[in-house]
Amino acid sequence: MIEKLKSPKTVIPIALLALLALFPVIVPDSQYEESVLIACMLLAIMASGWNLISGLAGYVSLGHTVFLGIGMYTGAILGKQWEIDPMYLMPLGGLVAAIVAILLGSIVLRARSHAFVIITIAALWTIQLIAQVAKPFTGGADGIVIKPPQWAKEMGTTPYFYIFFAIMCLTIVLARFVMNSRLGAGLVAIRNDEGKAAAIGINTTVYKVTAYALSAVPFGAAGAVYGQYLSFVNPLGAFNILASVILVLAALVGGRGTLWGPIIGGFIIGMANEFSTVVASGAAARVLVLGLVLVVVVMFLPAGLLPTISEWSKTRREKSTAVKFIDQTSIATATERVDTTAIQSRVIQDRLEGKYLLEVKDVVKTFGGVRAVDGVSLGIERGSITGLIGPNGSGKTTLFNCMTGIYTPDSGAVLLGGRDITSNRVWTRAHKGLGRTFQITRLFKSMTVLDNLVAPLERTSPGEMVAGRYSGEEVARAREILNFMGLQEFEKQPAKALSFGQQKLVELAQVLMLRPSIVLLDEPASGINPTLIEKLSSVIRSLNEQGTTFLIVEHNIPLVLSLCSQVHVLAGGKVLTSGTPEEIRNDPLVIEAYLGPDASLEVPVD
Amino acid sequence: MLILQVLVYAVLIGGIYALLASGVTLIFGVLDVVNVAQGAFLVFSAYLTWQVWVSTGWEPLLLIPVMAAVMGAIGWGIYRGLLVRVVPQGPGMTVLLMFGVALILEGILNVTFGTTFKSVTPDYFTSSLKLGGVVLPYPQLISGVVAFLVLIALWAYLRFSWAGKALRASAQNADGAALVGISAKKAAGYAFALGAAVAGVGGVLLAIMYPIFPATHYEWIARLLGVVVLGGFGSIPGAAIAALLLGTMEAFATTYIPQWAPIFFYGTILLILVFRPQGIMGIKTREDVA
Repeated sequence: MIEKLKSPKTVIPIALLALLALFPVIVPDSQYEESVLIACMLLAIMASGWNLISGLAGYVSLGHTVFLGIGMYTGAILGKQWEIDPMYLMPLGGLVAAIVAILLGSIVLRARSHAFVIITIAALWTIQLIAQVAKPFTGGADGIVIKPPQWAKEMGTTPYFYIFFAIMCLTIVLARFVMNSRLGAGLVAIRNDEGKAAAIGINTTVYKVTAYALSAVPFGAAGAVYGQYLSFVNPLGAFNILASVILVLAALVGGRGTLWGPIIGGFIIGMANEFSTVVASGAAARVLVLGLVLVVVVMFLPAGLLPTISEWSKTRREKSTAVKFIDQTSIATATERVDTTAIQSRVIQDRLEGKYLLEVKDVVKTFGGVRAVDGVSLGIERGSITGLIGPNGSGKTTLFNCMTGIYTPDSGAVLLGGRDITSNRVWTRAHKGLGRTFQITRLFKSMTVLDNLVAPLERTSPGEMVAGRYSGEEVARAREILNFMGLQEFEKQPAKALSFGQQKLVELAQVLMLRPSIVLLDEPASGINPTLIEKLSSVIRSLNEQGTTFLIVEHNIPLVLSLCSQVHVLAGGKVLTSGTPEEIRNDPLVIEAYLGPDASLEVPVD
Repeated sequence: MLILQVLVYAVLIGGIYALLASGVTLIFGVLDVVNVAQGAFLVFSAYLTWQVWVSTGWEPLLLIPVMAAVMGAIGWGIYRGLLVRVVPQGPGMTVLLMFGVALILEGILNVTFGTTFKSVTPDYFTSSLKLGGVVLPYPQLISGVVAFLVLIALWAYLRFSWAGKALRASAQNADGAALVGISAKKAAGYAFALGAAVAGVGGVLLAIMYPIFPATHYEWIARLLGVVVLGGFGSIPGAAIAALLLGTMEAFATTYIPQWAPIFFYGTILLILVFRPQGIMGIKTREDVA
């Protein structure tokens, strides 16, 4: 802890903050300089708040000043009503902004990418228009005039300076807390691959809405004070699209997704903004300067200052230590049986009932006129390794997607342990004990193998979200699983440095972190070499011996027939036949479905 | 009679919105970029028109091909110089880039022409055509008709010409189009130039219809996004239908509840993107969580 405090990454920002705090003492009677620094701090507060949803989760909002405006109006309206200074309503401003963000977020966060950007702008304009029209409450386009605070005139802007300074520090604390929590890790996972994040149990809706609400709090709190600082609130000033873009520019310059980047960016852009207004002697040319800066930053510094600097110093430091080469065979020959009690624990407390762990009943899924899955019923027996095969276009993948929750069937039901999960979201299925891997692996590429393994979540709860990223027994359990699979050497490697086959093993390891009762493998053997297929089979077998049930969708028929105890064959969206590998191997219907008449499906038996 | 008057006016305005929005929707279809600078292109072209008209007194309508060419060239330059390098960074960054371009254009206009309203007033500016009880001011009438003609020409061009087919192919599947010899970059540059050229035409029409002011590009982009979202991103016929619908609503709202008029555009964007992201007839652009 002491060491951590002594590192330059902590010392430098704290020293700079202390220097900033002393400014009004060192340079007394400097109204103008203070007002510029207040503008910088406000920008830093907003950029840092924005960073929580847009930097961490990757949902770029271009209308975030809507929450500043809400804070301003909350302060102005209620301050008038209750006859107190709006700035004392700072916590209320934060609260109201958070509530509005939850309401708005549960609607707008359904959209992604372009659509989300446009929606945030439209929401800003809509609320601006409402503020203009709702005259009895907001004073219409003229807005509301706010009386100056009670303190003595000689104090000038200094009290405001310290209030904004305090809000900025609290915002940094909030941002730091979020980034070090499971919530922060989950948001980064969402930015990397939202579908995958859901598949490993992250309730993406709750996570995004929470981040959106938290990101609004600093805006709302600062807004209540800012209104009084300006001594008036009006719709055009409060809900300003240009201010929204400037704060994004600040976060961009400093570095999205980092703790200090948005703060530094706030000061850089705040100063630049003031400078261009002074030099260009007026607001007209300021727009031109801001536009130029924005274009230059997007073109040449898209990652931002801090990440670019740290990347640069890292490559200088690590020039000699390239990614460590790890021999393939070390995986293949790794100890296969280590202590696996950790992996077993879910099976021991298995809450699922019935003979069939997973069952589909009369499932139909159509796309346009195509009945991809046409009334399929089948069950996966507890403790089995079940195969699902069929020629291309037979409906395997569609059925698989209905089981995992990517699709909702048009009719029919999906049961997990006898309970209907047809309408459950992807993460709920993961929480209930259904794990899955992807045909093309979807690891979080820039994260290390260990970080990938501690990302999965077994439940959604407030406690889980605020827990530290590496707290609890997860890390120990992740290491055990890596050991079990012979992957311990890779712990600190970024996932993207691994071969495709190795990534498949890591993805299986990641799913095991959910302590699943049943694991659905989507073409586990495709695109990997025979040594790794061998390794994978032995991992699946030993997990199965310990009680995990598997469903394998696969084109590698020899693998399916050697591994599975039960095989279902799909053709034309229907179950063609089911049986033991021996029965399937000799079934003329199967041979015909796959290869046409007059073909044979002789496979070597080991 | 007032209703008929408003309706005719709405159709003319709708035609102009349709033309302007077709540029946005074309650029989105081929490049996957939401061009938030389209409003600024439009206002920029309107100022150029004003400048030429003030200095020469020429009939502004004659400037339509010139402005189309000028804005097309500017658009092509912006694509090749800036946008092409940012597209791989994803939608958030391209929107920011185009916002930056819009601010630069607005800033240039601010500095060059000052922040006062300018109007182009040719001699037919104040006269109108009276048909029965309906009064049609000539600027609106001419602009509306020109907008419809240009829109139909654009649609036919995209539909039937080889270049148009190549653009549509590239819009549907850039990789597939590349395999049959259509360069995605060339198609994208061409589409962006064409979209900007449409704004060039629109700028002339704008200049003879309304007083112009640099910051009005925000109002325009709000309207255009509303039209494009309702019509469905990437669909020109969709944009045309949406433009007529929204133009009508706006015209009636302006007559009866003027302060609420813009809500149709903002509200449409919110509702459509949340509940029917493919709009009336476009492709589904909202990526849902798997």
